[in-house]
Amino acid sequence: MTNMTGIFIFSEDRALAKQLLTPALELKQALGQPVTALALDGEAAAELAGHGADKVLVLQSASGWVEGLGDAVAGLVGEASVILIGGTQRGKHLAAHVAARLDAGLTTDAKSLKIEAGKLVASRILYAGLAVCEEEQSFPAVATVPARTFPAPAAAAAAGTVESVPTAADGRIAVTGVTPVDKSGVDISSANKLVSVGRGFRSKDDLHLAVELAGKLKGEVSCTRGIAEDEHWLPIERYIGISGQIVKPDLYLAVGLSGQVQHMVGARESKIIVAINSDERAPIFEAADYGIVGDLYAVLPLLTAAINA
Amino acid sequence: MPKFLVLYKWTLDEQDIKVKSDDLSLDASRAKGKISDFDRNAIEEAAAIVEKQGGSVEALSYGTPTVKQSLKDVLSRGVDKAYWIGDASAETADAAVTAKVLAAAIRKIGPYDFILTGEGSSDQFNQQTAPRLAALLGLPCLSFVHKLEVDGAKASVARKLADCTELATVTGPAVISVLSDINKPRIPGLKQVLGAAKKPSEEIALGSLGLAAEDLQPKASRRSVKGFVMTRKNVIYKDAPADAVAKLVSSLAGEGLI
Ligand SMILES: Cc1cc2nc3c(=O)[nH]c(=O)nc-3n(C[C@H](O)[C@H](O)[C@H](O)COP(=O)(O)OP(=O)(O)OC[C@H]3O[C@@H](n4cnc5c(N)ncnc54)[C@H](O)[C@@H]3O)c2cc1C
Repeated sequence: MTNMTGIFIFSEDRALAKQLLTPALELKQALGQPVTALALDGEAAAELAGHGADKVLVLQSASGWVEGLGDAVAGLVGEASVILIGGTQRGKHLAAHVAARLDAGLTTDAKSLKIEAGKLVASRILYAGLAVCEEEQSFPAVATVPARTFPAPAAAAAAGTVESVPTAADGRIAVTGVTPVDKSGVDISSANKLVSVGRGFRSKDDLHLAVELAGKLKGEVSCTRGIAEDEHWLPIERYIGISGQIVKPDLYLAVGLSGQVQHMVGARESKIIVAINSDERAPIFEAADYGIVGDLYAVLPLLTAAINA
Repeated sequence: MPKFLVLYKWTLDEQDIKVKSDDLSLDASRAKGKISDFDRNAIEEAAAIVEKQGGSVEALSYGTPTVKQSLKDVLSRGVDKAYWIGDASAETADAAVTAKVLAAAIRKIGPYDFILTGEGSSDQFNQQTAPRLAALLGLPCLSFVHKLEVDGAKASVARKLADCTELATVTGPAVISVLSDINKPRIPGLKQVLGAAKKPSEEIALGSLGLAAEDLQPKASRRSVKGFVMTRKNVIYKDAPADAVAKLVSSLAGEGLI
């Protein structure tokens, strides 16, 4: 087991695990090495085996606390060339532990992956999105990949093999409770149009102006970090940015938000960006296709009225 | 009484970094240093716990020789003593190098009950230091913590993950990374800043840590850095609201969005 070479993938998030197969299969082409997936249960394993993994190892862990599987995973990947791990928080923790154990590099939040001259070359952002950089690593190379960076591959013609491996977990941490986040039913990342609000709004009551506009546009309301984390006016899964959600809607209508890079990195792949801000020097206007310099309290009601439902 | 060590990074303030329009290179000549944002939360958390329950807080940073400029700031935030490792190797260090240097330093100056750091640094945001360090030191690690309670050797935390809040406990020594919403870092007043001058700081020579040259070679090396530029239409209406709205509506219709 310890002498296996090849490309390894893991994510506890099943959709993301499947997406990881897409870059893994490209690396397989480039390196001529098999793809081994690690999975937490038989159902997830069967899905990965059916979508291009040559082999799937089902980790039979005592606790299922993904962060505690670092030593076990490092032991299993043996002579790996490339290890791709889903870029959830749990995945990032695990990946850093595995990389330390293997004395390997680790690219965080890789946006693209390729092999050049026997090295893994991955692109990622720096300075909260101000810059993009390319990192190269000799093998073994590790990268975390955020959700939705790659599409899931089509079903494979032949299914890979599935095997169970006993796995030891980190017993030093006791997990005493898990409370799922109340998602309030909205997945901001799948909305086609977003009206995004910032600190230009003076009170929570005023948000109805954005809600009405979003209703007319058949979109959703998102926000900056301060609106969610500090004011608690909107749930945290609605805030956009480097530490929040990354979205790519057709229309991103930014109202009363300044457009700092930490926020914009989550929205800058939108097709059309519109800004409404009273300060004509606000950075958001540089990032906007269209904009109105004006008071949102005057502009929003007019805009909502002018859009035909 | 808990003995804390807080790890912090002295970074450039990204707000002052400009992208040069000709070759997309970064111009950091006007950027000042700062204690990386989330590390300020880690410092605040340890300092607040110690102010309430007793114990001690020390801080440690590995950076280029400019890291020395951070001492006054870090010591004015409730830290009792600061250690610093200033070396040119930090210029190219990746998370692997950083963790090895910090681990070696902690073996020298430790042990500590709880080693705290921010979730990630504001420049590279690798989010690797805490788990890597824990793996190298053989300690348990709790990451992404937004509530921390320390009772003797035991820490109880709430971790905030994308889809859940997770409660966990660990007995120190342990490594903990914190999120920005765990607290609001203090803004040091004149008294704290003056007091900082009297607090001890100690340089740790990289050469004294017994690391091999190989350990200082990054495993992930940066081969290019390019400023991100967005090309947008930048059609901005400055008319009275009614006229501006009419123009925007026709632009949005032209894009097929309404
Ligand atoms: C490490 C780090 C990570 C971060 N991560 C994120 C992140 O993920 N997401 C995020 O959003 N932020 C993040 N931030 C914070 C970010 O840097 C900005 O501070 C934040 O996005 C600003 O929020 P804002 O635009 O709502 O507020 P402000 O910057 O205060 O902007 C308010 C805007 O409203 C305008 N305005 C005021 N009144 C009116 C009016 N009547 N009509 C029209 N316009 C008006 C003002 O001109 C101003 O431009 C992060 C920061 C750090 C340091």
